[in-house]
Formats: sequence, C-alpha cells, structure tokens
Amino acid sequence: MSDHKEDASSYPALGRWFMWVEGERNQKRMFWALAMLCVLLMVINLFKPMHGYFSVEEIRWFYGAYGFVGFTGLIFVAKGLRRIVKRPEGYYGQNAIDTEVYPEDQLGRKDHHV
Amino acid sequence: MFDQLPTAYIFFAAAAVLFVLPKGTARSAWMLITPILAAWHIWSLGLGNFAPYTFMGLELEAMRVDKLSRVFILVFCLASFLGNMFSWHLRDTTQQVAALAYAGSAIGAALAGDLLTLFFYWEGTALASVFLIWARGTQGAFATGMRYLIIQIGSGVVLIAGVALFYQETGVIEFDRMTLGSLGTWLIFLSFGIKCAFPLMHNWLQDSYPAATITGTVVLSAFTTKLAVYALARGFAGTEILIYIGVVMTLFPIFFAEIENDLRRVLAYSLNNQLGFMVVGVGIGTEMALNGTASHAFAHILYKALLFMSVGAVMFRTGTSKASELGGLYRTMPLTAVFCLIGAASISAFPFFSGFVTKSLTLSAVAKEHYQYVWLALVFASAGVLSHSGIKIPFFTFFAHDSGKRPAEAPRHMLIAMGITSFLCIFIGVFPNTLYALLPYEVAYENYTFDHVLGQMQLLCFALLAFAVLYRIGQHPPEIRAINLDSDVTYRKWAPSVLGLLVMFTAIFWMKFIGLVRGKIERMIGFLHHSHGPDGARAASWPSGAMVLNIALLLGFALIVIYVS
Repeated sequence: MSDHKEDASSYPALGRWFMWVEGERNQKRMFWALAMLCVLLMVINLFKPMHGYFSVEEIRWFYGAYGFVGFTGLIFVAKGLRRIVKRPEGYYGQNAIDTEVYPEDQLGRKDHHV
Repeated sequence: MFDQLPTAYIFFAAAAVLFVLPKGTARSAWMLITPILAAWHIWSLGLGNFAPYTFMGLELEAMRVDKLSRVFILVFCLASFLGNMFSWHLRDTTQQVAALAYAGSAIGAALAGDLLTLFFYWEGTALASVFLIWARGTQGAFATGMRYLIIQIGSGVVLIAGVALFYQETGVIEFDRMTLGSLGTWLIFLSFGIKCAFPLMHNWLQDSYPAATITGTVVLSAFTTKLAVYALARGFAGTEILIYIGVVMTLFPIFFAEIENDLRRVLAYSLNNQLGFMVVGVGIGTEMALNGTASHAFAHILYKALLFMSVGAVMFRTGTSKASELGGLYRTMPLTAVFCLIGAASISAFPFFSGFVTKSLTLSAVAKEHYQYVWLALVFASAGVLSHSGIKIPFFTFFAHDSGKRPAEAPRHMLIAMGITSFLCIFIGVFPNTLYALLPYEVAYENYTFDHVLGQMQLLCFALLAFAVLYRIGQHPPEIRAINLDSDVTYRKWAPSVLGLLVMFTAIFWMKFIGLVRGKIERMIGFLHHSHGPDGARAASWPSGAMVLNIALLLGFALIVIYVS
C-alpha cells in the first residue's frame, strides 16, 4: 500500500466498513477471538463428552487436535511437495495458458481512481 | 405430445432458436427461460419411463425419470440457469449455443435409460463443452481444448467399446446396476472414471477448466464430472473399489491445491477432492450413502459454481485469477467477497451452510459400515477443503497483502447470480429437509445434533487456528508465480520428449545404415570398375582379336543351322 492515507470515499460503504480488518491491532484482536472460540469449544467438550460411531470420537478434543495437527501437517507436506514439483510458469510453452494474457476484449475492466 | 419429448431437446431447440434472436437482452433472457422450461417439463412429467424409440432394432429408452435421475436433472437445470445469469453480458453466439447444447447433453445423458442413448449424449457433452474453452481464442486455449477433447472423446470411445462387449455378452442394453468382472464392464467403468477424474486420469480437469472463458468455467464446473458421478451411482453402486478410489481422490488434490497459484486451478483441484467424497458414497452403496452422494452433488454444484463465479468476477474486472497478483480486493468488491465467503463456508461445511448437511450423510454412511480408516481420511480431507477452498480462495483474493488493485464491484447480473446461489447455499444448510425430499431414498437423519455440530466446529476452528498461527509466523506457503507438475507432465512433456528422442535415434540409426549400405555398394562399383572398366586389369587382358573370333564363331554357328535346316 502507498504511504499516504488511502482515500476510500469512492469505495462502497460495505467495503469501507470492512476496512477495520486493516491494522495490526484489529488483526491481533481477530486472532485472539478465534483462539478464545477454540478454548470455548474445548471447555464445552470438557463438560459434555461426545458420542460417535467410533471410540476415537469419544476421546476429548479429538476433533480439535485432529484439525490442528492435520492442517499443520498438510501445510508442511505441501511445502515439501512444492520443492519437487514447482516449475517456472512458462514450462509448458505456448500450448498452455499459464503465461498468456486473458483477451482484453472479453474483460470488463473498471477501476476506482484513487 | 410433451411427455414424449426428451427434455434434452428443449435445450437443443432453444440453441437453434438463438440464431434468429438478435444479440443482446432477448438472447440472454432466452438463455434463462430455457432451463426453467426444462425443469418445469421434468417436474410435470412425474416419475416413469418416457419417449421410447427403436434404433438398429434395439428398443431404447430416452427418458427414465426416477428419483435418482430427477435430482441430478433438477440441479443441472438450476446450474444452467445460474451460469446463464452470470453470462448475461455475453454477446458470443458460440459460447451461448455451446452452453445450451452442453447442458442439454448432460441432461439427456442423465435421463438415458439405456447404454446407447447414454453414449450419444456422453459424446455430446464432450463436443459441446470444448467450445467453452476454445472461445477464449488464444493459442494456449486452443491447445488445451484439443487435449481436453481427445480425453473426453476417448472416454466415449472406451464407453462404446465396453457397451458393445457388454451387450454381446449379456444381451442387455438397459443402463442399470452392473457388476465389475468382464472386460465390457471394466471398460464402461473406466470410461466413467475418466470423466469422473479418477486419480491419474484426472489431469484434464485441472488443465482445461482454468483455460476456459470466465463464464465458460462456471458452466463447465457443473456438468461433466457430476454426470460421471451419476453414471457411477446408477451403474456401480456398492462397488467396493470405488471407496478406495474415492479416498485417494479426496486426499491428493488438497496438497496440490495448497501450492497452486492460479485460483481457478485451485478450484479445479478442489472439485476433484469433492468428487472423491461422492465416489466414496457410491462405493459404500447403501441408501444413506447414495443419498449422501446425490445431495452432495446437488450442494456441490451450487457452491462450486459460486466460488468459480466470484473468482470469475474478479478476473472479469482485473484480468487475472492468480493469487500472486491479487489481494486486498474486499475494499472495492465487498459483495463479491461476501458471496465468496459464503461459498467458502459452504464447501468447508460450516454449520448452517449446505456442505454441512450433505457431506455428513456420506461420512455417517461410511461410519455406519465401519470403515474407520476411510472415515479418518475423509475427516482429514475435510480439514484440507477448509485449507484451500475455505481459506485460500477468499483470503488471497480479497484479503492478505494488498495488491493495490481497486477494481469496481462485479456487474449487477453477476451479483444477482452470486446472490441467488449464496441464498441457496444457506437455505439448504438451514432447511436441509427441502433437499432431502428430492433424494433417491427416504432420509432419516438428524444433522443438527450436539455431537455433530461440536465436532465439526472443533475441527474447523482448530484448523483455522492452525492457519492463523502458521500465517503469522510466516510458515504458510507463499503465493508465487509458478506452475506445479502433476501427472499430465507425462503426456505433455515426457512423452513428447521420449518420442522426440526416439525420432532422433531412429533418424541417426537410419542415416548410419543408409551410409553403410551406400558405402558397400560404392565400394563394389569401384571394385568392378577397377577390374572390368575400360582401364581395368581384366579388360586389358582380353586378346585384341577377340571380336574377330566371336564373329567367326557366330558365322560358323549360322552355317551349321542353315545346313541342318
């Protein structure tokens, strides 16, 4: 983003309202709100255990742990995969759309002037 | 007689009428009326078999309306309507005709009561849909379209071969449940598998969908693969191998989707992963599982179209769908961002969104049959869905780092299309019984139980937390301009390279061989010339009066002949 303060007056009202997600303070708030939600879900589970089709579902916080560990594992495996399969954009040459510009006459470009 | 008119013909007739309508509002409106007419037609018919016909002495069934086919037809009509609404601005006859013919073919195939009718429409979907890719009009799109067409037509060729063998063996041409065993059934299975993007046969999907036009991809995403899911549900329900094929399908695309830069390709991988859930449902084959497959297909067509629409709208305004070039667009495209988030929440199966009430049917059916590892894999894959479709798509398009782009909000017709689709995603999530009523079998299932909601919320919130932590500490893979190799490298790069080497080696060998033979012949000629030529040793050794002697002998011989005769 540019240094000077952004003139958002021409943006849609909803977009201006969403702009509270900018700034370190609000982002930290969102992060902690999510963390608190997770804690809340854990607490609920603490007092009311779950029942399911498998015994593994009855382990406390199974879903939370599986989600957290699974997601983290997924990211690191994907990063490893990228080392193996990553190639430059033009790898397939002209017979692929990867480096092509989308035909301008099929677009409806319209920008806000800021 | 309307009840003897195949529903597909409504689309074909509408496509023909397009040519006489002036380009503009009238055509766009006609494109919307057609799927409504078709949906009304199929609904008013009720259940039963219609429009029988005879072809080459075979009694065929063009229209089999039962609860399994009807739910697919209805969602196909809905998808066609929404896609055409999104394409309202289009003034391209090719794409409009292709969109109608494609939807018509898919509907015709899903209604086919016999394998031959299925084959005709199966190929119809391939032929009609490729124009949605070619319409982009670039060399890359043309080449991609050719690859797509070869694979799609190939699937049809495999199908007709299988049908011929199957018919020869059993004398049955009706399209009903089959048992894998003979070559014929395996070929039919393989042909369905190609269109359903089974592992290692999947790459046509990720290759071609991002190459289509902005509106074309929205249309493409609905039909071909879900038609294949329908065909599998009809023909191979309860085939155990499908469970494992489906599990692999849910798993491997999530890793590729995570590192892919082109967001429309991310969605194509995501589509592949979603098909996996449906294929597992078909493999389980119980009533509950088939309900899961059908309802998941229904919900999936909607939220996947919604996601393709939102990324398409961004592309329409900015010219790109690459995550590395986007970000921060929520400021000026807030409605598109909200619709994208609704699509993301639906596919991630948050409570009160459509994915929650449909995917759970399949998962519960898997659990009921005691496939614990399959179930664990599917739950993990659900976290994976959140990762690429739930987070990556909206986050890197509308939030994340600011790209500095300030595109205007999507055009009104796109907003309407996305708005209706969003509404449906939430409606299904809140009132699942309206969708359940359309399913092939009766649903006795309660979605919103304490265990189910808490379990799902834990899974998703902790996965989100993992993302937030990884993103903050800089461990989330960055969006970079690059492509990733997938199995299509075998036929796009390696096979041509190997073929090139083969050609080169053959050429070298041939040249050497020819050179060798030529050398031998030349040496022989040289030798003969040397010995028998004018200056050759043999020529020189002939006696000088040889000619006189020869003539004398000839004359003597003539004298004897004359004397004897």
